Amino acid sequence: MSKIRISIYILLSTVILCTSLFLAPKVINPFHLDAMTKDILVSIRLPRVMVAFLMGMALGASGAMLQGILRNPLADPYILGISSGASLSAALCLLSGTYFLGKFTIPFAAFLGASLVSLLVGFFGWRRGGFWPERLLLAGIGLSFLFHAVLMLLLSISPGEHIGRTMFWIFGDLSAADWSLIPYGALFILSGFVISLSRAKALNALILGDELAHSLGFSVHRERLLVFISISLMTAASVSLGGIIGFIGLLVPHIMRFFVGADSRILVPASGIGGGMLLCLADLIGKTVIHPVEIPSGIVTAIIGSPYFLYLLRRKDVLGA
Amino acid sequence: MFSAPDRPILEFQRVVFTYQRDEGFIHDLTFSVANGEFIGLLGANGSGKSTILKLASGILKPSHGFIKLWGKPLHSYKNKDKAKLLCYLPQLLDVNVPFTVRELVSMGIYPYDILPEMTVAESLEAVGLTEKSESYMRNLSGGERRRAFIAMTLLQGAGLVLLDEPLANLDIKYQIEILRLLRELKAKKNISIIMALHDINMAMQFEKVMLIKDGKILGFENTERMLTSDMLMEAFDVAIDIKSSQAGSTYISYKNDISPCCPLQRRGKGSER
Repeated sequence: MSKIRISIYILLSTVILCTSLFLAPKVINPFHLDAMTKDILVSIRLPRVMVAFLMGMALGASGAMLQGILRNPLADPYILGISSGASLSAALCLLSGTYFLGKFTIPFAAFLGASLVSLLVGFFGWRRGGFWPERLLLAGIGLSFLFHAVLMLLLSISPGEHIGRTMFWIFGDLSAADWSLIPYGALFILSGFVISLSRAKALNALILGDELAHSLGFSVHRERLLVFISISLMTAASVSLGGIIGFIGLLVPHIMRFFVGADSRILVPASGIGGGMLLCLADLIGKTVIHPVEIPSGIVTAIIGSPYFLYLLRRKDVLGA
Repeated sequence: MFSAPDRPILEFQRVVFTYQRDEGFIHDLTFSVANGEFIGLLGANGSGKSTILKLASGILKPSHGFIKLWGKPLHSYKNKDKAKLLCYLPQLLDVNVPFTVRELVSMGIYPYDILPEMTVAESLEAVGLTEKSESYMRNLSGGERRRAFIAMTLLQGAGLVLLDEPLANLDIKYQIEILRLLRELKAKKNISIIMALHDINMAMQFEKVMLIKDGKILGFENTERMLTSDMLMEAFDVAIDIKSSQAGSTYISYKNDISPCCPLQRRGKGSER
């Protein structure tokens, strides 16, 4: 990667971060802070940017890992059904109005749902001493359909007043971000990120196929288990921080592969950072274009992501033959 | 006439292997490979060549019997340590790997914490891919792709190299080049090579040949004794003549008429197996 490209990335990231913090939707001059603007900056904008970055990082990095271990360019972290489990359990609380842990209820429920579904997917994907990519994929798809159907059932029989908030959460809601959740989210996401970085070589080898990975000295099943754990941790934490954000996990690794190549040692961290930046940007767009109404970030990422993805799809050198 | 067998690098002792759904089988296989041997593993389709290589590489575990690498049970090695002693190149290679040639070949050094003797540039040179080192694997031809994988395997620098049909789909030039390269490596570093193949002419280039049929060893001796009409008839169910040219090289010819006007006759012969 050339120095010019790196400089462009750093510049873009700085612009996105500064705009999110100081310019939009209302200008705050960081050199002349009064009590109120300081409060807005520290308790509203900063945590929101951090949550967006963490979520995007988790999704981008786990998307890159997942496309590698499933050897499938169309995989994203939600294909494992993690999002559907999280939505269902969060929706159960939101629709019934149960808040047994106060403001931690929804994140906790989402994390619990996501983790349970990861275990279930792992259970179905496990055979003869290890995970098999096709089984994981199919188990994820099967479970997603089931949980999605139950979620739709719940939505269709619920009284109207809770539905709006539930839908808002499902489409990725960063508006509730505050400092209280960041330590937990950061803990899970950063540990998942560190595991994934430490497995990057193994991931490269797994992309070549199980037999070559074995010949290169990797224990195939153990490596797949570790990668699966790191993906589950990051995705579950990301969903519990702010709901479902589509397209980052699918799209960002492809964009990054185009720029930095397919070597997981570079691609995984690059997708993490790129994912974080893209979600910050999406959040910024979502809260400014029709201010004061906010568009959920999940919708923004899908609206700007899908056309770009389709454009990439037309380019042979990005997605393969 | 061949170097006296050193300490065996690989030993199979009464190895039996059955696939779960009985797809293939290896019966009571016993043999050993000495350091520095260059062995052709020859047999018809489905005779068990690939299974033997997978057993030797530790990808498959024997149902019964023992496999030893340098005198120690194969499965007692840590994967990373084993990868420094033994490397395996499967027959089926993914056509859609997302890496560039250089990225792929560099993976050969993964088992090491320091660079092995042979550098990435040297191994690219050896397979004639220096100019394509920055190309994407998926943009290469089938033969070039295979050469890149061979370069990766060579870079791994293990003392025992197991290659499953590495010469399939290669131009004759590269078949010869790669055989020459392997021989050079063998001469320089005394590595042992076991290569599955089913081209009998190519098998003549090896010092020793192991003939396999239905998961059993028909014979494992030096090439002249193995590649006789009788042995080949038994292994392949085809009548084959071994001839010598005036220049001194040997080649095979088919006794059956396989003239192009009657291809069905040839097919009919094959289907009897």
